[in-house]
Amino acid sequence: MKINEPFVEKILTAFIREELSKFNYKKGILGISGGLDSAVCASLAAKALKPSNVIGLIMPYGESFSEDVKDAQEFSRLLKIRSRTINISPMVDAYFSSYPTKNKILKGNKIARERMSILYDFSAREKALILGTSNKTELLLGYGTIHGDMACGINPLGDLYKNQIRQLAEYLGIPEEIRKKVPSAGLWVGQTDEEEIGLSYDEIDKILHQLVDKRTPKKDIIASGFKKETVEKIIRLIKNSEFKRKLPPIPKISSRSVGHDFLFPFDWDK
Amino acid sequence: MKIALAQISPHLGNVKKNVDMHLKYIEKAKKKNVDLLIFPELSLTGYTLKDLVAEVALSPDSDPFFDELKTASRDVSLVFGFVEEKERGLFYNSAAFLSEGKILHIHRKVFLPTYGMFEEGKFFALGKNFHTFSTPYGKAGMMICRDFLNYGACYLLFAGGSEVIIVISAAPGRGIQDKEAYETSRMWESMGETISLFSTAFLIYCNRVGFEDGKHFSGGSFIYDPMGKMVAKASYLDNEFLLQEINLDDIREVRKKWPYKRDDRPEIILEALKRIIGKYED
Repeated sequence: MKINEPFVEKILTAFIREELSKFNYKKGILGISGGLDSAVCASLAAKALKPSNVIGLIMPYGESFSEDVKDAQEFSRLLKIRSRTINISPMVDAYFSSYPTKNKILKGNKIARERMSILYDFSAREKALILGTSNKTELLLGYGTIHGDMACGINPLGDLYKNQIRQLAEYLGIPEEIRKKVPSAGLWVGQTDEEEIGLSYDEIDKILHQLVDKRTPKKDIIASGFKKETVEKIIRLIKNSEFKRKLPPIPKISSRSVGHDFLFPFDWDK
Repeated sequence: MKIALAQISPHLGNVKKNVDMHLKYIEKAKKKNVDLLIFPELSLTGYTLKDLVAEVALSPDSDPFFDELKTASRDVSLVFGFVEEKERGLFYNSAAFLSEGKILHIHRKVFLPTYGMFEEGKFFALGKNFHTFSTPYGKAGMMICRDFLNYGACYLLFAGGSEVIIVISAAPGRGIQDKEAYETSRMWESMGETISLFSTAFLIYCNRVGFEDGKHFSGGSFIYDPMGKMVAKASYLDNEFLLQEINLDDIREVRKKWPYKRDDRPEIILEALKRIIGKYED
């Protein structure tokens, strides 16, 4: 799973540059959390475009993540990109004061979608294309909020596993305090990815790499030393999240239908 | 003779823009006294066409764009890729060889990849031949991308007497590894080495670069001499105009030493193939 970092950097920066130019954007915008994935994406964007053409939105909910906010702000300054900090507590709290809940997931999803909504608003204000920060591990497991953090214009990191992002981060010189952080969606205090999924990224990535990239049969993965329950859990997570990776099904009733046989490329005439 | 490979990134679905881009490269080639200028697969249209296939299709005999390129070929011979409407409503992924203002040959892609990320069989009709034809620079044969990964196809050009084998390609890179290349680049290069060496012929491979719908075309265009030695190679990532002088007499020299062509027995191969096909079950 080892990647050649300079080669991957060249590909991803070329991708960002080329996609923006195809769709007539000069600027890219992304949410910066103070974590690893958004730092890597911002760093690639700053290299691909001019740093002044990259906008980082830092969108804390309340005061609980002040450390992350500080890291995100410092990192933005380091990259010399434009950044803006927007506290989303008033919008989120306004909603939950009318429809209260104790369910952390509901609240987390709302927070993720509030950030999405602000990103799209600023995307239009600034005419900046939204750069996604979902990695391959998250996309396959469905560890993300549909129409929340998964929403974007292009997703430069979508074919890199978490541990490959770590490799790239070190090569890109992302500061150690960001690289050494325990991965977290940051939707509530104490949340960590690995605890919530119930597995470590190292283990998940090794299994996903076998299942997806190598097309290794489940029984052979188990025989190679992984626990049956772990492999089965990962397969279940992949299956149950397919809806997050697709457009919604449309009942086909006409002779030519969106999503069925109206087939045009994304980069049509670009 | 002087060969140039235009490792470009065509505009998807915009023939006009691509013809203009071709004409620019033709001007550049003329200034460098190039004899043969080669463009990648579907260079006039881009690759990921899907339902655009019918919209961008050209009829070589009547199309004004084609006339422009024919005229340009009076100064420099051209190979390029396009969607061909051979008969009404039949669309082929084709390669044209133009020289001295005329079409010398059109190859229609035979092996249309239709699996995984590829869906050519859904949109294109199937070519049916691998033909060797005469050019001002000896006998030549053409293949398009996946054709080249079939050694039967390569053999047909060898048996037909091709001295210059031209492969145009739109090959996306797949498989990142701990090297500055995609895993898939190796398969084109090993085919290039093998086919040039055992055909004792020049092997020219022109791939494209750029992204379409996230697919990343992985360049790496190359030329092998008839001894199986790589004599020119373009980068994997960037647009490039690769120039290389080749000497067709090398073919004669190497065939004195390695008489694979003299010793070929197509009639035995044919009979053996017939026996294999005769045993197919219904």
